Amino acid sequence: MEKMKMMLVDDEERFLSTTRKLLAKKGVEVVTATGGREALELLQQKNIHVVVLDVQMPGMDGIAILKEIKTRFPMVEVIMLTGHATVESAIEGLKLGATDYLMKPTGIDELVGRAEEAFQKRKRLEEKIRMAQAQKFLKFPRGILRAVEKPE
Amino acid sequence: MESNHYSRIRRIILTCMIAVPFIPFILVLGTGYYYFANSLESSTTAGMKRIVDDHRQMIESFLNERKTDLEFVQHAFTFEELSRARTLVKVFGLLQAKSSAFLDLGIFDESGVHVAYQGPYELKGKTYQHTEWFQNVVRHGYFISDIFLGYRNVPHFIIALVREENGRKWVIRATIDTLMFNDLVKQIRIGATGEAYILNAAGLLQTDRRSGGNLMEPDHEYLPHLAYHKDTRTFMDEDAANRNFLYVTTWLKNRQWQLVVRQEKADVFKALRTASYLIIIITVVGGALIIAVAFYLTNRIVRRMQQLDAEKDQLSEQLIRASRLAELGEMAAGFAHEINNPLQIIKNEQTLIEMLIAEIKQKGELKVSESLTEIEDSIKQIHLQISRCGQITQAILKFGRKTEAKRQDIALNGFVSEVIDMVSKKASVNGIAITQQIQDEPLYVHTDPSQLQQVFLNLFNNAIDAVIARHGGKGGEISVETVSTDNRSVIIQVRDNGCGISPENLTKIFSPFFTTKPVGKGTGLGLSVCYGIINNMGGSMQVGSEPGSGTTFTINLPAGGS
Repeated sequence: MEKMKMMLVDDEERFLSTTRKLLAKKGVEVVTATGGREALELLQQKNIHVVVLDVQMPGMDGIAILKEIKTRFPMVEVIMLTGHATVESAIEGLKLGATDYLMKPTGIDELVGRAEEAFQKRKRLEEKIRMAQAQKFLKFPRGILRAVEKPE
Repeated sequence: MESNHYSRIRRIILTCMIAVPFIPFILVLGTGYYYFANSLESSTTAGMKRIVDDHRQMIESFLNERKTDLEFVQHAFTFEELSRARTLVKVFGLLQAKSSAFLDLGIFDESGVHVAYQGPYELKGKTYQHTEWFQNVVRHGYFISDIFLGYRNVPHFIIALVREENGRKWVIRATIDTLMFNDLVKQIRIGATGEAYILNAAGLLQTDRRSGGNLMEPDHEYLPHLAYHKDTRTFMDEDAANRNFLYVTTWLKNRQWQLVVRQEKADVFKALRTASYLIIIITVVGGALIIAVAFYLTNRIVRRMQQLDAEKDQLSEQLIRASRLAELGEMAAGFAHEINNPLQIIKNEQTLIEMLIAEIKQKGELKVSESLTEIEDSIKQIHLQISRCGQITQAILKFGRKTEAKRQDIALNGFVSEVIDMVSKKASVNGIAITQQIQDEPLYVHTDPSQLQQVFLNLFNNAIDAVIARHGGKGGEISVETVSTDNRSVIIQVRDNGCGISPENLTKIFSPFFTTKPVGKGTGLGLSVCYGIINNMGGSMQVGSEPGSGTTFTINLPAGGS
């Protein structure tokens, strides 16, 4: 079974390092990024399933990063982490394609739980896509050839 | 100062309201009275004058007729004929047949000797040469005397005429019935006090006076006015008893007699007096009415003004409080947001410490000791306090939120039931009955459901706490009811019979961080959040409480539906 790969995006170094340690202890594979650009680079390089994104950051704003991620990597699940405990700011994120939201301060177990949920959701989605594709190929086997020629 | 201000306004309004109708009112009555009095006086006076003129003419023509009668006799008969008693009796009979005013008839020769006499007295043979009337008649040709006593010693007056026959003068004389003449003059009867009488040039009464005064007596009352005047004259005078009289006088009989008609002024102007009474009554009643209405209206106006001012003050106070709360909320929200980031780090650090200690313990590198237990306890406490901070910041952020709520029409009935269901378990455990009195027909409010839910939950939780504080485990009551509704707003009351709120706390109840609950139990933000939410919804929220008997929260929400 594939293991969840997580990315934390926050401007607070200490938050990243400590959370990384905690996640490691929970057995979660995690990479961290201190800004939007770095996060997008990492997404390109590595196969990351779930991104936990701080909404308010200097430089590239959380919402902007979310938009960027969702356009370039639509399959990546994003969980918003917000200091604004308002439902409204969370709703805005959800509308833009975020999977879930968490309010600061959040516990590590909660974080892992939500990330796991998001991961499961992604897996189900991937499964559905696979099933759909399989069905397509069953009806039209030549399509496999085309799919191989043009992978994306 | 406040009450001074109102009493000043009151005075101004009152003055205007009384003066404005009162002045024209009085003017109308006054002018009306003045012109009425004037026209009444002139018409009454003119009327009296006419009566007097008529009367004078009647008296004069009466005297003239008598004179003409005698003239006729003088021309129809000679002195000799008339000196014979038989003829005289016959002539006298004829005269009396014509006018019963003739009392007797006498014939005199040149030297004033009473030659023949027909009448009730024994006057034949008496000499009149030196009497005033005889001298006058010889001199003027005819004479009508004043009332005098004469030989008979009875008041009377005579008409005498001279005729010259064969170079000798003779005189015919007739006595006029004073009683009849009296009646003739006195027949003027105007009103209750009107009277007419005749005075001679010396001021002696020639007829009786109805108000007292006998023939030939001087009329002292009238003496000052006796001077001759042309035409008919009117004037006012006061008698000894201070009564005012209207006099109308005219001279007759060749300026020898004056006809006086007088009537008491009060009698003359009786209509005027009635009018005056009416005017006084109208003035008093009308004035009283104006004053009463003015007082009533002024009181109403001033009371309404006071009410409006009080409402205005209350409103501005509410506005100030609302804006202060909004500012405070904004500030608190920013603050809470900034706190959340470090809090997150602290929380993670704490979790890490906890995990690490657990790991070390597991490996057996750390001996179980009292200190270790204390460290663990301390870490747990840190965890607890972080959670508490988190709760506070979240509450602050909710309170300070500025974003627009998603409003929709909510059916109040079902909505309140749902909220009650949420707290019903907690309530029933503590023996509290929650009753709901929302009117049956669908009642809609236009607002954000999740926010409204939060408001009700907060109020219910507070109410439950208050009830428990007073009653313990049983006997608590909480009720929700719609008090009044119209097209624009719905008023909902949440009432409990809990411990109540003291007056000094009541003013601070909606302020953030104000709480009476023990430390760690409440954030002091619940009600300020409710207040902020209701205000955002375009509604208002008030509290009323009686320590020891309960608290009522009144929420005014914009109505929904149509």
